[in-house]
Amino acid sequence: MSEYLKIDNISKAYDGKVAVDSLSLSVPKGSIYGILGPNGAGKTTTIRMIMDIIAPDTGSILVEGKKADSNFKNRVGYLPEERGLYKKMTLAEVITYLAEIKDYPKQKINQAIDNWLAKMSLSEYKLKKVEELSKGMQQKLQFITTLLHEPEIIILDELFSGLDPINIELIKDILLEEKRRGTTILFSTHVMEQAEKLCDYICLINQGKKVLDGHLSEIKAGFGKNSIQVELEGDAAFARDIPGIDSITEFNNYIELKVASKADIRMILRQLTEKVNIKRFELMEPSLYDIFIEVARAKPEEFIWGNKK
Amino acid sequence: MKKLWILISREYAQVVKKKSFLIGIFLTPIFMVGVTVIPSLLAMKKSAETDKLTIIDLDGQGIGKKFEETLKRYKLDDSSPAYDIANIYTPRPDDSTGISNLRKELDSLISAKKLKSYLVINKAVEQNDSVVLVGRSFSISTNNRFERRISDILSGIRLQKSQINLGIDSVLNLTRRIELKEQSPGGKSRDFGTVFLTGMVFVMIIFMTALGYGQTLMRSVIEEKNSRIIEIMVSSVSPFQFMAGKIIGLGLATLTQVGIWLAIGLAIYSYRGTLDISADIMGAIFNPVIIFFFLVYLILGYIMFSTLFALIGSICNTDKEAQNFIFPVTMSMILPLIIGMYVIQEPDSTVVTVLSLIPIFTPTLMILRLNVIGAETFSFANSIVLEATLGIILTALAIALIIWLTSKIFRVGILMYGKRPTLPEILRWIKY
Repeated sequence: MSEYLKIDNISKAYDGKVAVDSLSLSVPKGSIYGILGPNGAGKTTTIRMIMDIIAPDTGSILVEGKKADSNFKNRVGYLPEERGLYKKMTLAEVITYLAEIKDYPKQKINQAIDNWLAKMSLSEYKLKKVEELSKGMQQKLQFITTLLHEPEIIILDELFSGLDPINIELIKDILLEEKRRGTTILFSTHVMEQAEKLCDYICLINQGKKVLDGHLSEIKAGFGKNSIQVELEGDAAFARDIPGIDSITEFNNYIELKVASKADIRMILRQLTEKVNIKRFELMEPSLYDIFIEVARAKPEEFIWGNKK
Repeated sequence: MKKLWILISREYAQVVKKKSFLIGIFLTPIFMVGVTVIPSLLAMKKSAETDKLTIIDLDGQGIGKKFEETLKRYKLDDSSPAYDIANIYTPRPDDSTGISNLRKELDSLISAKKLKSYLVINKAVEQNDSVVLVGRSFSISTNNRFERRISDILSGIRLQKSQINLGIDSVLNLTRRIELKEQSPGGKSRDFGTVFLTGMVFVMIIFMTALGYGQTLMRSVIEEKNSRIIEIMVSSVSPFQFMAGKIIGLGLATLTQVGIWLAIGLAIYSYRGTLDISADIMGAIFNPVIIFFFLVYLILGYIMFSTLFALIGSICNTDKEAQNFIFPVTMSMILPLIIGMYVIQEPDSTVVTVLSLIPIFTPTLMILRLNVIGAETFSFANSIVLEATLGIILTALAIALIIWLTSKIFRVGILMYGKRPTLPEILRWIKY
């Protein structure tokens, strides 16, 4: 896949505090790319620099190999973390206005509005004022204004923040549909579980620095299958003494074993079956959260995934 | 450019569509008439009622009687007499109980509003000049008249007593005074009332549009900051375009409003014959030179102050926070109103000239000076035309500086939520 967006070594400091520190990343065209990290990691600052809302102190941002020009603003659909619309305008007015300043052809706007409102089941509110909508409806409207002008790239800051569960599913479906049309999608979030289900590529950042980035499945493969879920009958406390097991976490009806990377899985299974009856024994991939916790605790310099490979 | 136009038309439509815009078009002139025209009309107006007076003449040389005669020349608009002398008392000057009883009686008449005032001409008045007017309120014109008339009578008596043998009437005739009529170069008659009125009308229009629309703009920036729409906007247009769109859009709304006022004014002006309106005042307003400078200063003043208000809006999160920043801006706009009286009397003094060339004061002070000094033609030979033009250049330069500074701060400020920034922080934003 060709590269759509390239961020090369950008840094940004506010009053001496470093928000983003020599960050580089590459977003392939047509992919879903997640920038993940805890609050205050520098996600919003990075996205605002991509949007040319703030200028980086150093480094450059290239869109399809060229420096982003004012034309780029028309080709991007942007949803900031803090959301809002003109409350006194009607839905049709606000959508039209925001599409017009994206230079979207006027004759296409009206048709697109009807399609989108139908898709989001907001058709009957077309001529109502924004302030008359419920919060959930306003979220859907906000997505329409982000996507209506057929952007090449959709950039969403803290995608899941403030969304109710029904809308999260709806938005996921719409983003996957956009991806099928070839749209590149870049979003940031601190909700790892959601990102895991959606992303092709991820970049983990912490304290303004990149911790690791790459294709999600490759990252997971690289970390190996390091945990085992076991459902069993009887007391499993003895499992602590089995060689190769680092720790045990007991849950209500199963236990989770963290194993060392070189451990002999078959040996562990054999030792368990000797003492107790086993109903289920499953090797688990590490979750993004596990990876993040493991990686971020270490010094970021030691975990530049690309170099390690 | 196309985007800027879309921004401008939205801002314009947002303002013009509102009912408050329509109301403002009609209410503002009424308010303006209220604060400028009515007080000056009242001050100029001759009293509509005959003032009832009483005289206590303790001098006993018939001065009271003489005074009554001279007051007969003063008439009201409907040609009824301006003053009515109800009584002239001439008690003996040493009858102090009688005099004090009489005064108490007259005092109570005044309190009951049955008498406007009474005049006490003291004993040997020609030596001690002691005349007292007792009343609840006094008008400047009445005081001037009384002073002049009694002085004249006393001069007559003194002249007579110093053996210059003329009758009092011929003395009065020989010592009569003139009344000055004021005219501007070119021969148009001007009086204080007209100058004050026309000047203040222009100052008020500039002041109210800049303040009114400036604050509207500031509030809309704060509102868009609070509703977070601003970040979506600057992802589609540059912050500078966004700011310019707001300022120009509202500016066009301002011009629409002032245009309607001018049109109404012109309509009234062209029917001035049938409507009973002072041609002096209308003629002074519809002077092409003044109208030209007025429109230029209106636009410059609006741009300068609305940019400052946009700046304030971008660094504040609530209207309340903004009040602290507005104060110095509003004060600089009010100054010309405060020193307006002084400007009318001394429009060419060094202080006024220098102040009127300081850009934040130029739009209002310069238009006031132009009105007071008067300019019939567009000639630099008239120093005020030269100074007014210089004022335009200086203001334009100041505006360029303010816009540059504001665009730097604006783009950072609109994304800063929460705590209000300190001044050093704001200054650092210029470098971002």
